[in-house]
Amino acid sequence: MENETQIKSHYLAPLKKFFSDVGRLVQFITAFFREVFLPPYEMNELARQSYAIGCRSLPLVGITGFIMGLVLTIQSRPTLVQFGAEAWLPAMVTVSIVREIGPVVTALICSGKVGSGIGAELASMKVTEQIDAMEVSGVNPFKYLVVTRVLSTTLMVPVLVIFSDVIALYGSYVGVNIKGDVNFRLFLSQVIEKLDFSDVMPAFAKTFFFGFAIGIIGCYKGYYSNSGTEGVGRSANSAVVLSSLLIFVIDMIAVQLTSLYYND
Amino acid sequence: MKKNERKKIGLGIFVIVGILFFILAIYYVGKKQQLFNSTFHVSGFFRDVRGLQVGNNVRFSGINVGIVENIAIISDSAVQVDLLIDEETRRFIHKNASAVIGSDGLMGNKILTLMPGTPGEDVIRDNDYIRTHDPINMDDIFAKLKITGDNAATITGDLAAIIGNIRSGKGTIGKLFMDSTFATTLDRTVVNLNEGASGFSDNMEAAKKSFLLKGLFRKKKKEEKKPGEEEKKPRGRN
Repeated sequence: MENETQIKSHYLAPLKKFFSDVGRLVQFITAFFREVFLPPYEMNELARQSYAIGCRSLPLVGITGFIMGLVLTIQSRPTLVQFGAEAWLPAMVTVSIVREIGPVVTALICSGKVGSGIGAELASMKVTEQIDAMEVSGVNPFKYLVVTRVLSTTLMVPVLVIFSDVIALYGSYVGVNIKGDVNFRLFLSQVIEKLDFSDVMPAFAKTFFFGFAIGIIGCYKGYYSNSGTEGVGRSANSAVVLSSLLIFVIDMIAVQLTSLYYND
Repeated sequence: MKKNERKKIGLGIFVIVGILFFILAIYYVGKKQQLFNSTFHVSGFFRDVRGLQVGNNVRFSGINVGIVENIAIISDSAVQVDLLIDEETRRFIHKNASAVIGSDGLMGNKILTLMPGTPGEDVIRDNDYIRTHDPINMDDIFAKLKITGDNAATITGDLAAIIGNIRSGKGTIGKLFMDSTFATTLDRTVVNLNEGASGFSDNMEAAKKSFLLKGLFRKKKKEEKKPGEEEKKPRGRN
């Protein structure tokens, strides 16, 4: 009898906690969709958050994008040269960046920078009871804190991905010209020649989901933080880990759906 | 308040520039797929499209002028391929133009190439049908290449056997090239022939002076001097 209780507490408790967490996350997401359409709309806070999430992340995303394009080009070059297909370098790098590397790397950077920031910020507000104070003073904390942040990440991550792609392509142009000689117009026409709507549209669409995942996980982890100041660090950390994992899961689903739709 | 305003302006610029990049990408990709150009439709029937896909390029004089819009099986031996072509190139494509499916390089995508037709003919119209040529089958090319290769192998084998025989001194040419005894004998034969020829010449000179044959040689000389008379004499006898 005692043994049975031990087994229950050992195996069932984490399972119960996992399912309860998932249920609470689903409730959280439902609450977001309910609140996002209901007035009042916190437009000023939305603009402030968008500035903090979008504009402030641009330098980091830009630098990583440039390096990404440059390195990918330099690394791909020897293999293509072996096949005598050096002329395919811009096209190959472009498709890789636009379809996969640009969106995923940018989303991961945002999850590290923005997701952890949101998680830590909301967690510290929760720990210092600022959220409770807001509720008491008649402000809807969910609408003010969660809806604005999730909406900002959902809208800003796609814009950041566009910038990242463009800068990465410039990096690729520099990479092509380190050892070869391709003028900018030829590079551009080679890039556009190989790009299709089937490359651009699904890649762009999935970035909205990446942004939503980063925002909602960051807010959820911060909003339900506990264990005092220690919980702040833990919330920030688990927000990054979970949102990064979700980005890969969403990416996998998006790739499967895209290949089903376009019969690739 | 001023700082807040500046942030909003920054955000506005950030979003607008991002959207502009996206619109530019959409425009150029769409333009490549004839989405924003004025276009016209033509169709053709093929027995086998060899992996041609919707969206593949249509080329005219080596320039991409359109795309394959639709591919549909019409019967067990005909596939209809609808093409979307840039309106500006229509004036160069005539009624008797034809289409052939090719490949963009050895590993590249399939492309459909348009041949312009003869200049005297009318210009092609919207929704017209064009003549088609079935694409060259790579399997046929490989089969022909195999035959050529087999023939080349037989020829080189024979050549190798001949050269082997020559090197081992077999046959006339082999003996000529490789057998030194044969060469010496041949050399000696030529020397003997020379000697024989000069001996024969001396004998002839001696025969001319001999009283038995002197008359014969004199008669021959006379005949050489009067060729006209000699021609008449045989007629008189007949």
